[in-house]
Amino acid sequence: MLKIKNLKADIDSKSILNNFNLEIKPGEVHAIMGPNGSGKSTLSNILSGKKGYKVSGEVLFENKNLFELETEERAHKGIFLAFQYPLEIPGVNTNIFLKTSLNAIRKANGEKELDAIEFLKLVKLKAKNLKFDEEKLNRQLNVGFSGGEKKKNEILQMSILNPKLSILDETDSGLDIDALKTVADGVNSLRKKDNSFLIITHYQRLLDYIKPDYVHVLMNGKIIKSGGPELALELENKGYENFN
Amino acid sequence: MEEQLKIDFEKLLEKSNFSKKNIEIKRKNFNNFIEKGFPNKREENWKFSDLNQIISKNIKNLSFYNDLSKPNKIDQSTFIAGLEHNKLIFVNGRIEKIEFDYEEKNNIEILDDLVLKKPNNANNSLLFLNNAFVSKFFKLIVKKNYSFKKPLVIYNITNKDLVSKSINLKFDILLEENSSLKLIEFSNDKSTTNFININYNFDVQKNSILKNYKIDNNSNSNIKYYFNNISQDTNSVSEIFLLSSGSEFIKNEINCNLNGKYASAFVNGVFLLNGSKHHEIKTNINHLVENTKSYQLIKGVLEDESKAVYQGKIFVDSKAQKTDGYQLSKAILLNDNTEFNAKPELEIYADDVKCSHGSASGSLNEDSIFYLMSRGLNYKEAKKLLINGFLLDVVEKITDSEIKNLIKNIMSLKQ
Repeated sequence: MLKIKNLKADIDSKSILNNFNLEIKPGEVHAIMGPNGSGKSTLSNILSGKKGYKVSGEVLFENKNLFELETEERAHKGIFLAFQYPLEIPGVNTNIFLKTSLNAIRKANGEKELDAIEFLKLVKLKAKNLKFDEEKLNRQLNVGFSGGEKKKNEILQMSILNPKLSILDETDSGLDIDALKTVADGVNSLRKKDNSFLIITHYQRLLDYIKPDYVHVLMNGKIIKSGGPELALELENKGYENFN
Repeated sequence: MEEQLKIDFEKLLEKSNFSKKNIEIKRKNFNNFIEKGFPNKREENWKFSDLNQIISKNIKNLSFYNDLSKPNKIDQSTFIAGLEHNKLIFVNGRIEKIEFDYEEKNNIEILDDLVLKKPNNANNSLLFLNNAFVSKFFKLIVKKNYSFKKPLVIYNITNKDLVSKSINLKFDILLEENSSLKLIEFSNDKSTTNFININYNFDVQKNSILKNYKIDNNSNSNIKYYFNNISQDTNSVSEIFLLSSGSEFIKNEINCNLNGKYASAFVNGVFLLNGSKHHEIKTNINHLVENTKSYQLIKGVLEDESKAVYQGKIFVDSKAQKTDGYQLSKAILLNDNTEFNAKPELEIYADDVKCSHGSASGSLNEDSIFYLMSRGLNYKEAKKLLINGFLLDVVEKITDSEIKNLIKNIMSLKQ
């Protein structure tokens, strides 16, 4: 599904990612763990098309060169980024945003757009599953939401858009243990043979709830070790500093 | 231009039936204007909008005499659809229709044969010009305890027959005690390069409510100046909303005197500008007695090389304790060549007051755009949604829900 070969990324002539390689197959869950400044967020930004990076190498998504696609086209093809810091957007109603987003993606894929009633039915169901306060959906996007609510809102969007590849950028940070569990349940309910996940995190805590197939350790812009879920535990015991 | 002014002024006096008194006043005002001329940037009030220069740059051979002897056709397609309303229709500066179908006739009065008054601001040459050249001066009286059942729309329509001429209109609107009026001014311009100068004088008496919505949305090359004077008595409310968008130049000046306790004034406005348009809103809110309130919120979205100016002044008299005054202006600059000038002014002589002001401008937040695009919206859609959200809260301030929806539709705002 996703093949990254020799990815190099610079920002303001500072090297962030270097010789980065990763392959994710349909249905797999990969976790990338790394200390602050190791390039985790850069990776998620680049995959979703944020401007401002100088990139080289190759990133293929379903055999298409990702660098040739605009941010919204990547979303249309099924890439979703759950933001580390979801943005507050004053004046934009959450429900309207969600509907606009879903219909933009459906339209791009030649599917019928949902009308207001169909959409509300869908969003109600998804919100309920995530224990997300429905009333909040009538508010401005993320404005006045708590940290946990913002993160849940990301997962709600993910479950509504049903992407092929979901990138979770430190979704666990700022979540209390109950919210963490709800978020994990939301992710787990989306695990299917065609849906893949890339989970970016500092801690293995989230991985107690979402069992990854692979764990990669990212340091100084490249993956220094890959393994199964046990690698996360090893990392937790040793710490990043002593890992090398 | 002075030569043309003189010729046109004499022609106007010759062709019209003004009373002796009015001719005398007109001559005085005419001379006052000749002395001062169009305002320019050396005047503090006009330092961001040099009208003299704007007129000479945009209008070739401006003339001042307007032949109002022949009726003009009314293009019905310009009427606001889906809103039951009373109508005052002006075409090319000539009154073509007065229609108060929804109101009790004994509770309103319209006068058009009035003696002109001396402008209440001796520094404003455009008020002199207006007095000199206005043909009919209308007064609408809303009688005591009467509330208009439907909005009144004043249509200011111009068509292709009118080129490089000046239009001067003047209205006095009196809301007697316990009365209310919703007034929409709706411009539709198909003429080119005219100078349109409109004066309003509102007298809002005790417990009365004035809602005034000024909509200028059709793109046109006219240069406009509106002077609105509002006097408010005890417990009265004025609510003004400006959609400042269509004309090449507009300056909307609002002078509001809160003369009675518990009077409150709300001025909200939106600049939606592109091309080389240049618009200004200038307010003077004068808190003259205790316990009055004012609220101003102005937002702008500027494209291409357009320019917007907001000069907002709150004056608090030493008698005006417990004043509550607020103003905020914000602009989104979509292009490096756009310009937003905000000049907040607070002049406070009382000590127990609550006044605040603020202003901010900047480009669209790129992170917000990226967020929306990562959810499948293209750049244009993301931008539209953000602008929609930015403008929505000003329009939400409109307290009349029917007119709010009308203005949302006109601005293509959603939700």
